[in-house]
Amino acid sequence: MATILPTPVEYAGGTLAGEQVSLWRDGVRRLRRNRLALTAAIYLMVLALICVVSLFWTPYKPNLVGSCPTYDLPSGAHPLGCDDLGRDSLSRLMVGSQVSLAVGLATAFIVLVIGVVVGLVAGYFRGTIDAFISLAINIFYGVPPLLVAVALYVLLGPSLINIIIAISATGWMDMARLSRGQALSIREREFIEAARSGGARAGKIVFGHIMPNALGPIIVQATFVIPAAILTAAFLTFLGFGVPPPTADWGGMASEGLPSLQGGFDPYILLWPAVALSVTLLAFNFFGDGLRDAFDPRQKR
Amino acid sequence: MLTRGTLIYIGQRLVLIVFTVIVVSFGVFAVVHSLPGNAFVSDRVHGRALQILLHQYGLDLPIPVQYWNFLKGLVHGNLGVSLYIRDLPITPLVLRELSVSAMLGGAALIVTIGLGITFGVLAAIRQNTWVDYLLTGIAVVGYSVPSFVIASLGILIFGQWLNNVSHGALFYPEPWTGTYGTLAELSLPAIALGFYTSGQITRITRASMLEVIQQDYIRTARAKGLENRIIIIRHALRNALVPITSILGPTVIGIITGSVVIENIFGIPGLGKEFVESIFQHDYNVTVGVFTIYAVLIGISNLTVDLVYTVIDPRIRY
Repeated sequence: MATILPTPVEYAGGTLAGEQVSLWRDGVRRLRRNRLALTAAIYLMVLALICVVSLFWTPYKPNLVGSCPTYDLPSGAHPLGCDDLGRDSLSRLMVGSQVSLAVGLATAFIVLVIGVVVGLVAGYFRGTIDAFISLAINIFYGVPPLLVAVALYVLLGPSLINIIIAISATGWMDMARLSRGQALSIREREFIEAARSGGARAGKIVFGHIMPNALGPIIVQATFVIPAAILTAAFLTFLGFGVPPPTADWGGMASEGLPSLQGGFDPYILLWPAVALSVTLLAFNFFGDGLRDAFDPRQKR
Repeated sequence: MLTRGTLIYIGQRLVLIVFTVIVVSFGVFAVVHSLPGNAFVSDRVHGRALQILLHQYGLDLPIPVQYWNFLKGLVHGNLGVSLYIRDLPITPLVLRELSVSAMLGGAALIVTIGLGITFGVLAAIRQNTWVDYLLTGIAVVGYSVPSFVIASLGILIFGQWLNNVSHGALFYPEPWTGTYGTLAELSLPAIALGFYTSGQITRITRASMLEVIQQDYIRTARAKGLENRIIIIRHALRNALVPITSILGPTVIGIITGSVVIENIFGIPGLGKEFVESIFQHDYNVTVGVFTIYAVLIGISNLTVDLVYTVIDPRIRY
């Protein structure tokens, strides 16, 4: 069967000569052509902006009880209405983004560091170290992450930092497994052998040679850790294991709104944080999908 | 079917499950017993009375000894007694709650697999049409929207709007009645719980169906003049199921974890509700018991999933 090769024009987006592009620029180009991922990225930037603004300014004080009538429905003065204690829902929603973004980003960072170090070390050294780490991974897989997070959280006490610690402690296994697999396959390649015969020490080989080559899939995986962490945090706070009460966060706001939804008099208290949470998670997932399609072409959807 | 290798494999896995249960239960045991406060706080007993009470429940012993006593009981299937509802044996309580949770989880699993595979197959055979876009869109929404949001929207729509619109003729009966509820009461929690994981199954089913229907034996089946329905269900789906089984493990764990939240929203008297309540009530014996049951449950479901692989893909042998 005759295969029609794509012409250079199709590759290089306009220029006739097949212009040389680096892998990174090629990826960025593919990402920019993905409208869904681009929309998601723009939404996330707006969210980040709102988060920063809410640090300095909100329409009303987010924790001020009685800044409007309780259960006030959306109106001109309070666009999203008021909650059961008469606090302005818009202000609380804005402040709530801080908790979600902080948990998502901090957890992704911690999971990235722990998972990559543990995984690469297991994959590179193999043998006893690998057996030990793999057993630890298997044991952690055998426990429900949410429940362990609850137990850790109860032990450590209620605070934002402890939520992050609890979620990271139960979320590093996928990253470790991925890094371990990467290390196992990359360590057999010629350039690693060359480095080793050149006298490079193990630390240099693992973090100087293997890590940069394994980074693509790892970064893609890290973008999926963010929504997963936000989701787990929302579950925790929804169950009442959240940041201490006056602080606004989306999971806790949803949980406060549930009684008035079930009572049938004000669905909005629950609706806004639920929508904010869903749209944010959707955006992170779309962006992660786009990132994977752009930078990790080997992996299929 | 059950070769010697398979039996050895099952044996190894059972050992790992036992090991995990011991590690997990010890971890939780150490955590809850190092917390400040105990179940007797609300009784306002102090001094000698408190000492007697602690002694009565063996709580004055060192933690390793307490744990050893717990393990001895566990071997006999005895998880101890509740401290909140004084002297209530935990094992029957937890087993009853397990049966409620299992019913909910089973229903959610049926929803997940049914929805996921149907959507995935439909999206694949109508690739790049509006059907495909709609169904893959629903799938992404499915794994992005938290189950408590789906549950709340369900309550809002079926419990209230539909109730108002139909003047009470059609509505979702919200308070859970009795231990096991009714089929109508089960429907919404099961859908809310199963919808989240069905998104991932849709995705994988679609991808693997697309791969399978391009293969030569499907073309052969078409050339033979087989009916399309039979080709899709009996020839293509059979082989497309293999990659799907690989996410069954995470799916089951997702349902078990999600049930904690769903049970608390709908007031279903299952393990998840007990777990959260026992923590708030400082009823730590129950917390440890529930956790142990969860660890056993997850170990056994993972093992079952691994054994299901061998049925669906006979090439896999252990």
